[in-house]
Order: sequence, then structure tokens, then C-alpha cells
Amino acid sequence: MTIAVELNEITKSYGAFKAVDRFSLQVERGTVFGLLGPNGAGKTTLIKMLTTLMRPSSGDALVEGFSVLSAGKSVRRVIGVVPQENNLDRYLTARENLTLHARLHGMRPDAYNPRIDELLEMTGLAARQHDFPDTFSGGMQRRLVVARALVHEPRVLFLDEPTTGLDPQSRRALWEHIRGLRHAMTVFLTTHYMDEADALCDRIMIMDHGASLADGTAAQLKDAFSRAHVYELELRGDGQGYQELFAGLPFVRSVERSGSSFRLTLADEDSLKPLMDCLGGAEIRKICLKEPSLEDVFIALTGEKVRE
Amino acid sequence: MFRGALSIWGRDMLVLRRGILSELIAVIAYPLTLYLAFGFGLKGYISEVGGVPYPLFIAPGLISMTAVNAAFDESSWSMWFHRRVQHTIEEYRVTPITVYDIVIGKIFSGFTQGALKGAVVFLVIALCTPFRIDYSHLPAYLLCLSISSMTFSCLGTICGTVIDKPENIGRVQSVVIVPLIFMAGIFFPLSSYPAAVLPIIKLLPTTAVFEGARAALLLGYLPPQYLINLLLSASIAFALAVYTFNRKMAE
Repeated sequence: MTIAVELNEITKSYGAFKAVDRFSLQVERGTVFGLLGPNGAGKTTLIKMLTTLMRPSSGDALVEGFSVLSAGKSVRRVIGVVPQENNLDRYLTARENLTLHARLHGMRPDAYNPRIDELLEMTGLAARQHDFPDTFSGGMQRRLVVARALVHEPRVLFLDEPTTGLDPQSRRALWEHIRGLRHAMTVFLTTHYMDEADALCDRIMIMDHGASLADGTAAQLKDAFSRAHVYELELRGDGQGYQELFAGLPFVRSVERSGSSFRLTLADEDSLKPLMDCLGGAEIRKICLKEPSLEDVFIALTGEKVRE
Repeated sequence: MFRGALSIWGRDMLVLRRGILSELIAVIAYPLTLYLAFGFGLKGYISEVGGVPYPLFIAPGLISMTAVNAAFDESSWSMWFHRRVQHTIEEYRVTPITVYDIVIGKIFSGFTQGALKGAVVFLVIALCTPFRIDYSHLPAYLLCLSISSMTFSCLGTICGTVIDKPENIGRVQSVVIVPLIFMAGIFFPLSSYPAAVLPIIKLLPTTAVFEGARAALLLGYLPPQYLINLLLSASIAFALAVYTFNRKMAE
């Protein structure tokens, strides 16, 4: 396995507060890696350290073998960055934005002009290349930021919440572009959209409070969570009195009620038979195993409380 | 070396080129109004200062004032805008250039704008008024104008780097820059100051800017004490600008 991004016990502290706490990770070259977490989990801090915008308090990270501490310039040479905000230059046209980026990477016009043509074509912006970004929709601006990050053909592309604020069509269009990059380069993205992570990522890590909580493919994470045995049960009638009954059963971990529908988390698979015994003569309309979504995994790991 | 600085300077010049006409009209209007109002309005009351006709006495300072104001404005607002509004500084910082490239590029943009706008005001005053000079004095004057623009560009860069609220940049201009400019004898001779204050006034970098400019344009040489003051001010301002920007980016 060739490692594209490696973090070794990296920490970022602000006084006593640790935004990222002894975080270690290895990302294989050519994969799409997704970092999920609620607001304030430490995702952006981590990306800022990996892109040399922020210096770690301790630990180190290697990007394509270059240390963010001692070889920042070499790191920046091999990365492309799509930040959370569209930091396009509104006084330059779309093409000029890409040209400036190429020049900052030391590219010559005979190298960057065909590359820019190709990227404008790929992102569907060729017809608008001489327009200013202020006249673009949010989705077009986002595509331009992605194109800009790709001008110098980076080996690792960092995308920090790339689809935040986009409409569903623009999101899907951007997903297509990102999918197209799979295997050509390593993609490291942060998001709090579960469907995005599910659709795009080969590997997902869920983090909160600066630390990793779970790591694997979307299927692995869902599978691990499915061992919690969540069942949806719907009774005929209003289900009055059953909440107390279920809550009192030793093998029931949690009960949620909505009218005559219940969501029960059982201790294990063997709990199903005693549950049915308890229900006795109750009229059951439906009982089924609830397949967890990635969002269920995320909520179970990071909690339901809204973050500031 | 400084490839990044050149690219950033190139970007700023491209943007300047696009709006050059409207920029120049705005830049020329202010000093030209002052020249006409003071130079001609007061001509009947103040015919000469130290043997120099009053319009000629104020002209070098007005041209320099345009240059240093333009250098300060461009550097401060541009740095602030790129850092706080467009966040383009962040885009520059994820490319393989150094923070020195960014700050030097921005300082040179301010310097270029200052020197360019000063030169245009000079041309307009020369074309539209009876103001005439000995053109062999021009190299000394341009040297003075360049160092002054560089100093004010560095000061503007420092303000744009450390100030987050835009209104505070305006306050620095009103409370620091404008008094420093007007105290330095653009419109009156330094001999008007009380003897006790004069040594302090002569140490001001703006005195070197305006008195130096006047001497250079009218006499053809830059007095050594002003040249040293200008070079020292520019060097200190440059070092401070680079240090401040580097420190801010490391935060």
C-alpha cells in the first residue's frame, strides 16, 4: 500500500482547548477519503494543517512523503485545495483566475494554456471563461474553484465541505467531477452530508472533538452499527401502555415511540423471541429490522445535540 | 526567486489597467483642486516663499502627496480586501510561494500605483498650469518619489495586515497619515514652526518626503539628511511590513 497522506499524533491546541487531539491516520494513494464530523469536530483544522495554512502544536503530517513542518513548499507543490468558501478573485475573469494560479505554481504559458482549456471544458465553463466570477451561480463558482485546484495536476486534492450551499443539481454535477478524479489522484474531503460521503468515498472516518470515532468503508460502518439490532414495530390501535412495557424489559436497550409505532434497540438477535413472547396477544401490524443509514451511524457516534 | 511576488504584482497591474481611466480621474481631481485653490487662490496674498513662487512651492509636495496617498491606499485596502473579503491570500498561501512573495508583491503594487499616479498628476499640472521645472532635476525628484511611495506602501501593508475592521483603516488615515502629511510643510515653510518644535518636525519621515521632493524638483538634489531619513524610513517600514505579515500568517 502506498501512502499519500500520513498523520502522526498531530495535535492543534488553543490554550487548554484541543481542536485536534493526537490524531493519526494513513490514507492510501488513489482513494477518495472522507472525513465526517459535526461542526467544530476539527475537520477544517485538520485540513488547514495538512495544507500548511496552520502549524500543528505537536506531531507531524506527511503529504506524498513531504513533512508539513519542514517541507511546506514541497507539500504545496503537490496539493490542490478547495476551501469551504469560494475564494475566487472577483476582479479577474474565470480564465485569469486559473492563469494566476498556474503562474503561482511556476507553470509556463505553453503548459498552462492547454490545461486550462481542458479544465474549463471539463467543468462546463468554457463559454464563460472571460466572465467575472461574480456573474456566476454558486455551483459555477464552486466548479471554477475545483478547476483552479486542478490546474497544476496535484497528487492530493483537499476538498473542505465542497458542496455546502449548493442546490441538488449542482451537488450532483460536482460529485460527477470528483468521481472522475478517482484513481487519478488522492482525494481527501470533509463533509457533513452523509449521502455525499456514501456516494463518493472509498473510506470514511467519523471524527468528533478532535479525535477519530470510527473508520471504514460506508458498508463496514453500517454493518458494524447494524449489530445494535434496531427494530421498527407497528401495532394496531394506539399502542398505549406498551412504552412502559418495552422499557421494563431487560433486553431492550432503548425505546422511541411515535403513536402506535415503536423503534426498539435490542441487546442481541436472541432478544427477538422473548420480545415476541411479551407482545402475546397484541395485534402487530408490522415488525422489521431497521437497516442503519450512514446518518444513523453518524448520529449514534456524535450524538443528537445541535452544535454551535 | 520572487516569482510569486511578480505574479501577484502582475495581477494587481492587470486589475489597475482595467480601471485606469476612472482611477486617474479620481486621483487627479484632488491635488489639482488643491493646486488651483491654494496656488491661485492664495497667490494674491502669498506671492513667494523663500524666493519661490507659491504655486511652484506647493506643487512638488502635492505631487508627492498624491503618490504616497495612492501607495498607502492601494496597499492597505488591497491587503485588507484580499485577506478579509476575498480570502485570496489563503489561495496564494496554498501554492508553492512564500509569505515573503505575497507581502513583497503587494508592497510593489502599492509602490507602482503611487509612483504612477504621482507621475500623472505631475504631467497634468505641467500641462494645465504655468508650472515649469528644469527637467534635469527630474531624476533626483523621481528617486525621492520612489522611496517615499515605497515607505507608504509598506505602512499601508502593515495596516491592511493588522486591521480587521475597514473603518479603522480610515481612522488611521485621518488620525496619523493626514496630520503627518499636512504637518510636513506642503503648504507652508518649516520656518513657520516655533524653534522648539522644528527639530522634531524635521525628523518626521513625511518632512523628508515633502521637503526632499521640493529640494529635488526645484534645486536638483536631495539633501543628504532627507535622503538618509527616506532610506531609513523605507528600510524600517519594509522590515516591519514583512515581519508583521509573516507573524499574522503564522497565527
